[in-house]
Amino acid sequence: MIALGIVALATLAANGSRQLRYSAVALLGVSLAANVLTAGQLTVTQLAVEGCGALVACGILYVAARDRSYGEDPGWRLWLATIVAAAATAACFATLRTASSEAIAVPLIGEDPSGVTAQVAAFWLISSGVAILVTAQTPVRGSLGAILMITGVELLVRLLTVPQLGLSLLLGWVEVVIALAGGFLIVNERVVRES
Amino acid sequence: MIIAAAPLVLAAAACGAFIFRKRLHLVGPFALVAIAAAFALVVLTPLDTTGTILDLQLRSSGLGHLASGVILATLFLLVLDVWLDEPAYNFFPTALAVGATSLGVLILTAPLAIFGLLVVGLLVPVGSFTFQVQRNRSVEAATRHFGFVALGGCLGIASLALAASLPHDQPANTFVLLVVVLVVAFALLLAAIPFHTHAALLAGEVPPAALALYFGVLVPTTFIAFVEILTLSGLLPAIVQVVKVQDLLHGIGLTSAVGGAFLASGAPDQRRLVVYSVISNLGAALVGIATLSGPGIIGALASVIVTGASASGQLLAAGALERRSSPERPIARKAPLAALAFVVGGFAMIGAPPLLGFPGRFFMELIAYQFAPLTGAALVFATLLLIVGQLRAVLALFGQGVERWFIEPRPIAGIVGAVIFIALLAGGIQPDGFLRPIASFADEFLRALRPL
Repeated sequence: MIALGIVALATLAANGSRQLRYSAVALLGVSLAANVLTAGQLTVTQLAVEGCGALVACGILYVAARDRSYGEDPGWRLWLATIVAAAATAACFATLRTASSEAIAVPLIGEDPSGVTAQVAAFWLISSGVAILVTAQTPVRGSLGAILMITGVELLVRLLTVPQLGLSLLLGWVEVVIALAGGFLIVNERVVRES
Repeated sequence: MIIAAAPLVLAAAACGAFIFRKRLHLVGPFALVAIAAAFALVVLTPLDTTGTILDLQLRSSGLGHLASGVILATLFLLVLDVWLDEPAYNFFPTALAVGATSLGVLILTAPLAIFGLLVVGLLVPVGSFTFQVQRNRSVEAATRHFGFVALGGCLGIASLALAASLPHDQPANTFVLLVVVLVVAFALLLAAIPFHTHAALLAGEVPPAALALYFGVLVPTTFIAFVEILTLSGLLPAIVQVVKVQDLLHGIGLTSAVGGAFLASGAPDQRRLVVYSVISNLGAALVGIATLSGPGIIGALASVIVTGASASGQLLAAGALERRSSPERPIARKAPLAALAFVVGGFAMIGAPPLLGFPGRFFMELIAYQFAPLTGAALVFATLLLIVGQLRAVLALFGQGVERWFIEPRPIAGIVGAVIFIALLAGGIQPDGFLRPIASFADEFLRALRPL
């Protein structure tokens, strides 16, 4: 539960920040907390692969910002994204929850074998990402939304009982490519804005 | 390992091409050699070879072979055109990476992995979409494309992951919701109407070669991936039982087919005409898939593959005409061969006989009539609108007449168009070799629809 709380708070911090660099650091926090949530379901190698993907992605966004002040002011979009994400998470959990409903005991600290907290975190991240991406004005918030979504997707895929190494590596690459494309667009958009 | 050799060669070549991408005299031939090597590897890989890489199962299917061959041939022509006629250093590594991901998508058998790799492939061209950013809106177009791909990709993978973890006693509504999300995710990626706004902006602002890479290679790959994911994910038996999903596919397909054709018939320039024609043909192909029948699936896949090839030829020709005629409107007098290539590409786009586009369109419209007469009539109407659009383009190009027929300097787009036309003509005269692997895949699809 504590990791789930960190995911939620770090998402709000990334969403609410006016500076891309702070958002990138908050995104790293989201990824780390998400990894802690599902630490029991993956091997160390798989966790390392996805952790590296997240680290590189956040690093790319941090570097793409070029200075501390660059970013996009979320304004009213912060509140809209938060309200939509909260409502959508509850709706998704009510309709799409696939984790076993038997004996749900969510511990405050430690593993959650039922996968409930991982699914809640995934729904929260995906709905936050959709809300941010749809209301984004520039690639700054577009990249932020996309990385939140792919982090949520990684959590959902981890709950599957299929061989995970290939999928972990692939999703790690997807995250890095999203960050690279986002960083490229951020740099180009800045050139346009400054000219 | 041989089964993954072609995509791995292209991926390694993409990294190499990125390192020396600014040495155009080197990177162009290097990219061509890499694509030729990948083509040879695809041809040498026996059919139905299987393999495993990082826990992921691979399979070389007939459809995969066919689509890989067409994609690599298209990429070869695109790279040749960019190297000789329209130098853009970002294009070469992008084209190689797109080739690697497309070939990877065609050999993977895990739906989640197919979708993940497809998203990577769709994001790669962002690098070649932006050019001369202070003079146009290419950054905005690329940003919109990025948003659509991220949204569609993540929603699609999430819905597939949730569908894979559904317990057997899950209510039907949950399943319907997930499949609806999956279909909408693909509609976003395919730029189906009403999710086409990024395609409209791309058509106006992006270099023609990058547009050809997207609409000629990636969009057909996305469509094939969609059909493969439906087949491999085990969702089909449930889709048959829930009519709503079939209706949704049908609705999106018809809207796209007729809407795209309407937009194409009134398109203000050649690029938009091609892009809207592709959207219309994709819509018709979605209708073909929605019929869940053998002829519908064969027609849809055949039509999409041919549409990709002809769109590439037409977009390159449109780009050459723009460059030769700039700053005036493109006219045939400035580049007669490119104008001819545009016109013959249009024949393939509308599915005119005896070109290879005809069998696919014929199958789709026939089965659509059998499915519902109104649907068949709508597809024929869409074809008529596409013909009107192509005729308008011919009049705009040749309306002022051509005083003297000559071959323009560096007629690469014209030659590429001629090569594509000859290939489509040869395929149209002898369509068996083209349709057989697609028919074999349609059998697999139908078996997945009604498992024993």
